[in-house]
Amino acid sequence: MTKLYGGFRALDDVSLEIKTGITGLLGPNGSGKSTLIKSLLGLVQNHQGTGCVLNLTWPEEVRKIRDLVGYLPEDDCYIAGLTGIESVAFMANLSGLPRTEGLRRAHEITDFCDIGEEKYRPVEGYSTGMRQKLKFAQALVHDPPLLILDEPTTGLDPDQRDSMLNRIRTLARDHGKSILLSTHILPDVKAVCDQVTILARGKVQVFDTIENLSKPAEPTLNVTIYGDNQPFLSALGTAGHTAQVRPDGTLKITGVGTDHVHRIWDLAAATGTAIRRLAPAQNSLEEIFFRAVSASEDHPHART
Amino acid sequence: MPVHDLGYREWIGKRNHPLIRPLYVARSGIMLIWRRKMLKLLLMVAWLPIIIPSLGVFCFEQAISDPQYMRPLSQLLRGPLQRPDLAVEMLQDPVSVRHEFWSIMILGFFRAPQLYSMILLIGLIAPLLVSYDLRSKAYLQYFSRPLSPSEYILGKSAVIWFFLGMITTLPGLVLYLLGILLSPELSVVTTTWDIPIRILLASVALIVPTTALALSYSACTVENRYASFAWFATWIMGFVAHQILSNPPGSGRGRGRMGDRMIDTERWHLISPYHTLGKVESWIFGLDTGEASVWPAIFVLLAITAIGTFFVRSRLIAKLSI
Repeated sequence: MTKLYGGFRALDDVSLEIKTGITGLLGPNGSGKSTLIKSLLGLVQNHQGTGCVLNLTWPEEVRKIRDLVGYLPEDDCYIAGLTGIESVAFMANLSGLPRTEGLRRAHEITDFCDIGEEKYRPVEGYSTGMRQKLKFAQALVHDPPLLILDEPTTGLDPDQRDSMLNRIRTLARDHGKSILLSTHILPDVKAVCDQVTILARGKVQVFDTIENLSKPAEPTLNVTIYGDNQPFLSALGTAGHTAQVRPDGTLKITGVGTDHVHRIWDLAAATGTAIRRLAPAQNSLEEIFFRAVSASEDHPHART
Repeated sequence: MPVHDLGYREWIGKRNHPLIRPLYVARSGIMLIWRRKMLKLLLMVAWLPIIIPSLGVFCFEQAISDPQYMRPLSQLLRGPLQRPDLAVEMLQDPVSVRHEFWSIMILGFFRAPQLYSMILLIGLIAPLLVSYDLRSKAYLQYFSRPLSPSEYILGKSAVIWFFLGMITTLPGLVLYLLGILLSPELSVVTTTWDIPIRILLASVALIVPTTALALSYSACTVENRYASFAWFATWIMGFVAHQILSNPPGSGRGRGRMGDRMIDTERWHLISPYHTLGKVESWIFGLDTGEASVWPAIFVLLAITAIGTFFVRSRLIAKLSI
């Protein structure tokens, strides 16, 4: 998929396959996340490319695709004058649900989204968090198999944020929904996503499962010890292991996986070192993200 | 804590045909407008002028059987309506002028009170339609559904059509029905059967271009007051410009009479939406037989409709691209 805004390539030959489950869509501001979503929904035109969404050809059958997708926009958007329940029922009707069925379904979904009695108030008076929940209910009311959520936890307090992530998790796990979650909040991605796509400069920089991305390039252990670490470091060097002292004092030992952890215990025993903590190292999502973004700036055509 | 929580449930059912979805846009818009007390009052007040043409039709039908009604009707035709020829014909054979007299009454109703009501009504409701959606970014909600910009425009236009139909088409048809009921015999239907069709055509000529113009103003800005201002300014300035150009100082012509306003044959009518509409409506009611001069007016109304609709569509697409 390629999308040009004048001479600017907002999406530069983006190619990706989004699997069932929850996929996190990450990227710095202006990386093309919203453009990608809007292109998928056919909201922006003049794009090039072909694809398939839920067995429908894109972009030819984009209106049918919209029928099967629930979209939560990032922007604060609402239909002025309507109450919460009317807004949700109206969206159900626009998606083809009959009038009575739309209203019944709207009540059910607003309860699921914990909107409560607020649903009978005009939406102009809603708080940011309440509007976010309302948009989520609107995206969900027609029971779409694919949900595209653009910053769904923005404006929610910590409790509400947890509840929202739980709902997202429940929908994917128990109801088989595929969810594309675009967000800047990395802990949200870590909490719920099965796979992650990182966009930067209009290109896909990273696309893999969280599990694979968390694994370091080579087996690594993080070890925290009591007291002086010099004897232990010397012993590691003598044994042929590479160790690096991190700013917080933790030793990062590369080349040793969990299968060979007994070697570390043996060296500690030999040098009289007390090990306080020993854990296999994992790449943090923050590291992955910053590495991908930096790589895109250093090598605009590279893919991590 | 809910007493009974269903959690999330899948929905399986038959969806409505996509073509009827603009109806939901219209229904929602009508529902929102209907909540405004001021507009409900305006709708009621807009029906009051129907009394005047009803009285005219009543007097005319009475005049056929009771000649004492002839005198005031004749004065009406010679005076304000500027049709002395029709007054003479009426005195000789009133039945032969029934169609024309009814048409004049209904056209008068369309031109004078209903056009003013229409301008006021659209000025109050149209800016609330697209302008509000642009301000609150509701277009993202609409177009994330299988709804095209054209269907959205159709739905929003239908809101205005509904309310204008309520104050123009419906009273016009009621006026015709009253005429039938007030006439001495039902055979009048055979001579006036085409009037309801003319009412419908005149309504289309009135409603469609004005709706397109109003929506294009509404799509211009997120501030609905600017859209309202532009709407009223268009009508007032067009009217004033037409009056000045048609009655230049020293021309000796006085203030236009009702007949002049109803059947406008002057060359400046194209600069005033009010007079352009009047030209076409007079032609539809068969009271202006100058076919050659009506085509430019029809063309202007068609152009306003096409350009207005295209503009709204372009604005929506441009907004989505941001």
